[in-house]
Amino acid sequence: MADKRKFHTHYKSAIFGKVGHLLLIASTYLFLWVPIVVLLVFSFNSESFPSPWTGFTMKWYGELIHSVSLWRAFCNSLVIALSATGISVMMGIFLIFFAAQGGRVGRYLNLFYGSIIIPETVLAVSLLGFFGLVSISLGFTTLIIGHTVLGLGFVIPMVYARFLDLDYRMTEASLVLGATPIQTFFKVTLPMLRPSLITSALLVFIISFDDFILTYFCAGSSVQTLSLYILSMIRSGVSPIVNALSALLLFISSIMALIYFQLSGRSKIF
Amino acid sequence: MKFLRPPVSDRPFAIGIPALIWQVLFFYIPLLIIVLTSFLKTTPYGIVGITFEKIAHFINPLYLRVIGFSLLLAFVNVILCFLIAYPLAYFLAFKGRKIKNFLLFLLLIPFWTNFLLHVYAWFYVLERHGFLNNMLMNLGVLKTPIILLNTPFAIIIMMVYYYLPFMVLPIYTSLERFNTSLIEASFDLGATWLQTFRRIVLPLTMRGVRAGFFLVYIPSFGEFAIPSLMGGDKIMFVGNVVSEYILGEGTASLGAAFMVVSCFILLITAVFFYWLLGRFTEPVRDRG
Repeated sequence: MADKRKFHTHYKSAIFGKVGHLLLIASTYLFLWVPIVVLLVFSFNSESFPSPWTGFTMKWYGELIHSVSLWRAFCNSLVIALSATGISVMMGIFLIFFAAQGGRVGRYLNLFYGSIIIPETVLAVSLLGFFGLVSISLGFTTLIIGHTVLGLGFVIPMVYARFLDLDYRMTEASLVLGATPIQTFFKVTLPMLRPSLITSALLVFIISFDDFILTYFCAGSSVQTLSLYILSMIRSGVSPIVNALSALLLFISSIMALIYFQLSGRSKIF
Repeated sequence: MKFLRPPVSDRPFAIGIPALIWQVLFFYIPLLIIVLTSFLKTTPYGIVGITFEKIAHFINPLYLRVIGFSLLLAFVNVILCFLIAYPLAYFLAFKGRKIKNFLLFLLLIPFWTNFLLHVYAWFYVLERHGFLNNMLMNLGVLKTPIILLNTPFAIIIMMVYYYLPFMVLPIYTSLERFNTSLIEASFDLGATWLQTFRRIVLPLTMRGVRAGFFLVYIPSFGEFAIPSLMGGDKIMFVGNVVSEYILGEGTASLGAAFMVVSCFILLITAVFFYWLLGRFTEPVRDRG
């Protein structure tokens, strides 16, 4: 108890003190959330911005639901994100399967950190040049390829780190009790890896779904994703439909963040 | 006890390979090609030789200034993010208690929502008749609204807003693993809070700071959407110049060359910062 008291006395005498620290944290969260709250409030305003608050309405949500081009862009993003997630997680599982059978993966692992080391703009521009050279026309394929590269940079290090932490005695027991290596992989290793597979899949999905830079370069003119749609709406001026869309997307990402928290082994949020 | 491994001949290398092929084919080869094209002299009939003209074209004050601005933007962003992120991460790791996870959750949601929506949200705050101007006028701080959008201020605000979580999360992770009894030991031995922070806490969490530094520094250098949307294309950064060259007619190889030049300079500064931060990483020994 004496130690604890000491810790607090010193803490109070720190440069910004306890109250100062709390104020700092509070203002950081204000900084993070004020724009979002303002945005959400104006999604219910009956007049379009910059007019002040005039009255409550749900009409922008109605227009959001009936906007055909928006939902097409939404579906495009969804298809691309699901494919990129599926492919990168699948390839991650294959690589872990190889590692579980005794393959040496560690030395190749550094290859996958590349996409974190260089700016995404550089990757996007390089891929654009590459697709031009091998004449793959820009569109769904190129976006899925690019987003999968981004995804691999997360899936492989995350899942492999979890794989190294696994309790080997489990796999050993399975092998000793007569299961084949393949049975062991599917019945023991893979279920133990499930949380890290799901969390990395969520991350890849979000990165792909929200991606702007790579999409901007590699989408071509035929595919419009949600990011590009929002960009065109922002460029053409302020529209409350975008506010309504933000509310919807914030809701979706909150749910995904909740799932992520539950699975990443943290205790409950609320 | 040794892990029972299946016989060597069973190793299905072919199954492990797709991820490697994908990474090499769609990451390393395109990068290599872009570097090569900036050195190759091409005519409509094919490659005719090696040239340094394209590279030399960008070694002039005009373009070096663009690179300088980008480095400055990235550096200022990194410093501001660090100054905001460290107290936040410290609070989350040691003081958050019951609301810790909720605060982390609040930090992650904006991070996981399309960043263009945040740009859009900041329009509402920074507009001439936006939230900030209205609030300051209601409080009597301002008489007439000030212009906030399309200024360097707007760019920096948006950059910090977007990149903050990239700095908070690695620092938070390293603080969470930090053994708090070291702080108590330091106090017991008579150190002040500042000494404890500077000589114990900071050096032992420098790994997280360094990770955060590069997660913010590298992408901010290439950023082009935020400067163009928040800054109204008034100040050109590397990302803007590259994207204009690349998407322009017949100037793609020049864009590639500019990218190679600027990435080379970025790499030099990154190596320098890696070394600099590494110097602080080791705990201070044998002094005092």
